[in-house]
Amino acid sequence: MEIDKIIHEPARLRIMMILSGVDEVDFSFLLSTLEMTKGNLSSHMDRLEQAGYVEIFKNFNGKIPHTVYRLTKTGKTALSKYWKSIDEIRKSI
Amino acid sequence: MTNSLNKKAVQSKDIKEIPKWTRKYAQNRTLTILVLMAMVMLFGLFVAVLVGFPLALAVIGFRKGNMILGCVGIAVLVAVLVAIVKFMIIFLSKFGGKNRGLIDQLIELRIYGKEGTTSISLPKITKKMRGLDYILGAIGLIYIVEVNHLCMVGYITFKYQQPLMALFFVPAFVFEYFFLQRPKVGHLVLLWPILYAIHAILILAGVPIFFTGNLGILNMPVPLIGYAFLAYMIVHLYSRYALKKLKRITHLEGDTTDGD
Repeated sequence: MEIDKIIHEPARLRIMMILSGVDEVDFSFLLSTLEMTKGNLSSHMDRLEQAGYVEIFKNFNGKIPHTVYRLTKTGKTALSKYWKSIDEIRKSI
Repeated sequence: MTNSLNKKAVQSKDIKEIPKWTRKYAQNRTLTILVLMAMVMLFGLFVAVLVGFPLALAVIGFRKGNMILGCVGIAVLVAVLVAIVKFMIIFLSKFGGKNRGLIDQLIELRIYGKEGTTSISLPKITKKMRGLDYILGAIGLIYIVEVNHLCMVGYITFKYQQPLMALFFVPAFVFEYFFLQRPKVGHLVLLWPILYAIHAILILAGVPIFFTGNLGILNMPVPLIGYAFLAYMIVHLYSRYALKKLKRITHLEGDTTDGD
């Protein structure tokens, strides 16, 4: 049984789980909820985007840049597969 | 080893709750509505004072035969009404039509700017549902005006004003919630029609929780706005609880947080 290493990283797992609960989440929400630095969060989001798990939408709130994230279908599938693998591993121990 | 496995199992059980608490938080962020409600109430009071003062001045002037005072009252009243209409035109040109909802966004940004935003889309509303919503609004408006009118002329006693209002508002709100707002808004907002219905039942059971005499006119707005305010305040507090819970679960204890 193989575990998705992109999702298995604790911070990314939490990000994916937050995104799976709602339709969209912005950068500030993830930043304040996960209490991470901007740089760390950005690099995690880049990894998730590269994997095709997350979609990024950039717009402006007045003059302030506003970045919104959404979980893709691939991301949803990967996340449910991840939990399936984790549960199976736990059962087998 | 067993302890570590147990700890991991508990941790993953908690992590599985992240979507639930994120959702609960997003569905119950009602501070924007509370602020909007307060703004509308304050604006209503402000307009009432602005209109009421010159109107009272004019009535007193004409009653006492003081034409100058009466005319000054009328002139001020006209000026106030022109200013209100002008303000409404400017306000609607900025926040009405295509910009509908912009004021909510601006308030939300001010309140939740640092906290960030999460959102759940509104349900897909069919044309039939939208039409039904408009029809319900029109019926509601006629019903409210007529019930108030019948109370004013004495056909209905003030005691039954709120229960009669509940006959429309409670099912209308439940319809709005289940067909037009869910799942964007959480179940807790149903507290409002529940409290409003309980108030009506208590009145019918003989509990004297209604206004009479000159204050009878308050039977419509006070329970309506009061329970809405109370319900949305409870919903808002619940969203704070959900966020606290979410932060506790998502807190990374000594885990690596870089992107590699």
